[in-house]
Amino acid sequence: MPSRHRVGIVRFPGTNCDLDTWEAISLITELEPVWISHKERQGEDLAAIVLPGGFSYGDYLRTGIIAARSPVMDMVGSFAENGLPVLGICNGFQILVEAGILPGTLLPNSGRTFLCQEESLVLENCRTPFTALFVPGTPVTLPIAHQEGRFFIDPDQLQEIEKKGQVLLRYLKNPNGSEREIAGVANGTGNVVGLMPHPERRVRSLFGRPDGLAFFRSLALHLDRQSLRTVEIAP
Amino acid sequence: MTAVPPSRFRIPAPEMERIRTLLGRDPNLTEEAVFSALWSEHCSYKSSRIHLRKFSSKGPRVLMGPGENAGVVRVTSRTGIAFKMESHNHPSYIEPFQGAATGVGGILRDIFAMGARPVALTNSLVFGSLRQPRQMTLFRRVVAGIAAYGNAIGVPTVGGEVWFDERYAKNILVNAFALGLVEEDGIMSAIPPPKPLLAVYLGNKTGRDGVSGAAMASRSFSGGDADLRPQVQVADPFVGKKVMEATLKIIREGLAGAIQDMGAAGLTSSSVEMASKASLGIEIDAARVPLRDPSMEPWEILLSESQERMLLLVEESRVERILDIASDSQVSAAVVGRIISEPVFRVRKGEEVFAEIPVPFLTEEAPCYDRPARDRPPSLSRPSHHAPSEAGRHSIAELFHRLLDHPNGGAADWISRQFDFEVGTRTLLPPGHDVAVVDLREEERAVAISMAGFSHPLTRDPGRGAMLLVAKCVTDLAAVGSWPVGMTDCLNFGNPERPDTMSDFVQAVGGIAEASRRLGIPVVSGNVSFYNETDGLSIPPTPILATCGLLSSRRRVVPGKTASPGLSLALAGSSMDLSLGGSYLDWILKDPEPGPVPMVDWETLGRLQPFMSVLLADGRISASRAIGRGGLLRTLLQLVSGDASLGVALSLPRLENPLETFFSEAPGRLLLAFEPEHLRTLEQTALEFGIPFRTIGSTAPHLWSIRYRDREGRAKELSDDPEQLKRRYAVSLAGQMEDLP
Repeated sequence: MPSRHRVGIVRFPGTNCDLDTWEAISLITELEPVWISHKERQGEDLAAIVLPGGFSYGDYLRTGIIAARSPVMDMVGSFAENGLPVLGICNGFQILVEAGILPGTLLPNSGRTFLCQEESLVLENCRTPFTALFVPGTPVTLPIAHQEGRFFIDPDQLQEIEKKGQVLLRYLKNPNGSEREIAGVANGTGNVVGLMPHPERRVRSLFGRPDGLAFFRSLALHLDRQSLRTVEIAP
Repeated sequence: MTAVPPSRFRIPAPEMERIRTLLGRDPNLTEEAVFSALWSEHCSYKSSRIHLRKFSSKGPRVLMGPGENAGVVRVTSRTGIAFKMESHNHPSYIEPFQGAATGVGGILRDIFAMGARPVALTNSLVFGSLRQPRQMTLFRRVVAGIAAYGNAIGVPTVGGEVWFDERYAKNILVNAFALGLVEEDGIMSAIPPPKPLLAVYLGNKTGRDGVSGAAMASRSFSGGDADLRPQVQVADPFVGKKVMEATLKIIREGLAGAIQDMGAAGLTSSSVEMASKASLGIEIDAARVPLRDPSMEPWEILLSESQERMLLLVEESRVERILDIASDSQVSAAVVGRIISEPVFRVRKGEEVFAEIPVPFLTEEAPCYDRPARDRPPSLSRPSHHAPSEAGRHSIAELFHRLLDHPNGGAADWISRQFDFEVGTRTLLPPGHDVAVVDLREEERAVAISMAGFSHPLTRDPGRGAMLLVAKCVTDLAAVGSWPVGMTDCLNFGNPERPDTMSDFVQAVGGIAEASRRLGIPVVSGNVSFYNETDGLSIPPTPILATCGLLSSRRRVVPGKTASPGLSLALAGSSMDLSLGGSYLDWILKDPEPGPVPMVDWETLGRLQPFMSVLLADGRISASRAIGRGGLLRTLLQLVSGDASLGVALSLPRLENPLETFFSEAPGRLLLAFEPEHLRTLEQTALEFGIPFRTIGSTAPHLWSIRYRDREGRAKELSDDPEQLKRRYAVSLAGQMEDLP
């Protein structure tokens, strides 16, 4: 059996969706989760990196701002620049935005309270490593759980990310005042993805529709194809 | 001796006298501070102790009972659930956000001190009327405070209840419940083994926050309590999470002999209580306690209620490893004292001794009162065979609308959506059902949690009302087929020095004790909150119960709502006594001549759970709900809340008393929705288990039609638009809260 793709799960002090993310990735036979400390600087043997949700450093300042400056983020940054897959979920998304790896910013919800509820969403861009298994326009239901999830970006940049197809996921009914109902975006090259909803919370049928599983299955498919390509090129 | 000077820590004069007699001298400042904390109502249970003995904590599943940080009950062959509930009423009234947040932090520390990983939180909240802006602020900030702590530390808040009632305007209730999982051989205790042990301090540094908090919670409020704000502690869930992970790691590695969290009366109570349980003494060096402000006096250090702190008793050889773990987790730790064989509590600062008190003086010799009780005039619960007199003047539909339009009858989504109820992905039934269900991920089992804290039946009849609460918990648990395995309580009452309050307390404790014994439910932990009184006005008697039930199959969890039309509806359970006394309707009407509080049919109630288990094992039920607040009509509305336009079509026989049929909250009755093809099986099973069973109609799209015949045999119909009813239900609480610009 070919060796499994190692997916690094970054743990900052205050991360709290780490175990859920670990379990979700464990469900995919092709993927092998490994813990990455916030102090880690080396990531050569990783095939992908996930930044899970939580309250890094308590999020007493602007969310994600301290985590974005921890040692591991240098590694995540160069990983992303090399075109390798990076997924930030909720607080992970906030950290990627703070680190300037993803566009825009995430402001406090327009209702000013924490919101934990299911959202109906539509998937738009299916060319990223985390959405390859979806067909554009697929409706998905995923839960959100955040206080600062209002996606904001200046009009010029908004136009640009819309044009380039960087908007990945939109709410059907805007829960938090996000610009253009945006719930998830990708970077310009499509290898880095940030999601406010939590796919790792919908991977078992015990909790209703397991719509989150396909995000991790997509990653496995993407990584398999990549390694196939490597095999083809090799003599 | 000379006359006793007035206490600097508000110790009552007779108790000061007793302290002098015990010591044979005047206590110094530090000693007086220690007595004030440990002899406070909050720590000593001096007014409640003799009554709490009525509770039975015995049972084949009970692994740990009262006296520990939390009770533990076995739920699988190797795992137990540790759970407890605590009040944080007084601090939450003074500073709602921090008060509520520290309430959550405190109850979580009780759970992980047992070696259990917390996996669920719930809460019970009571405020004054939302028509007052002050109550609106308190409510908004309490919810935000609970959310801030639970969401950040990553423990899901899976359920709860709320109640608004003018009588709580000056004394709101904030009770928090937590549940954790612990392997049987990994259970930690607060009772140290008889070995030479060192006291290790772990967690946040000590500051001046919350100095004398326990003493504050042990007296009534009066006007101008703004000066109490420094007595409220400040929460730090980020440090809380680090302390939790470090503590669990220390326990997992078997490094600690005993652990207690530094809750009320902080370092004093944790050190004295642990020493006392082993009949030993303890010496604390205040100079070694990690401080935020080095100018703190020993008495301040001893009484500080700074949050996120634990006290560990450990063997000397383990200290190094513990300090390593603490430094890895970026939390403070220090050896601050040691267990001594002489049973004395000694506080030093360097070489200087600041306090020296025999431990038994602080614990066994603490005052214990059998306070006088005087029954209230009996007119309140006079039996009556009439429907509430007020009710006769309204139509059923009007009454139903009134119940829905009050925030007490509305959906609580505005609260629950501020709580992360899913982190950890164990939540099988989230808020919005009768019970919360949490996956154990072991042997296919799950745990259900039911909260019951409705005080109105107790206002009418404290003893019977309290029994009703227990019965309500058991009915809720039966709705999902779970059987009760343990209970915890938080007894919120007024001033125990008032004989009528004391009488309420004694009757309520008796009611809970009797009901739980009848049903074989051990009461494994609990908490008493007295002095919920302001300017001489006490709250109504308000015990709040949390009962845990066990489900044998997590794949058979039945929801409390459905979206499917065409399901049959039936009522299962005893309708022996449907009296309206103490019901939500009774409360809304504020009836001067209420009916009696209903008697519980214990026999039938006990058979309800096995009946449901059998049906659920065969997958016969689509949705199930206990008849709860507001009675049948409101429960029907909640049952069909899976879809906005779904309603019901009911056809009922001649009703002797339509008000009772539609609005009684007598426990022991379930509303079931099921595919019509299962009817025969259900009827047969009900017959086998001796459960009264009656089909009443079906779910129907766009329809709300309830037909019946009144006492005179006249045909009647209640007709409404289900979408409009649901809108009323959705906005009665949320609508008040979302008017921010």
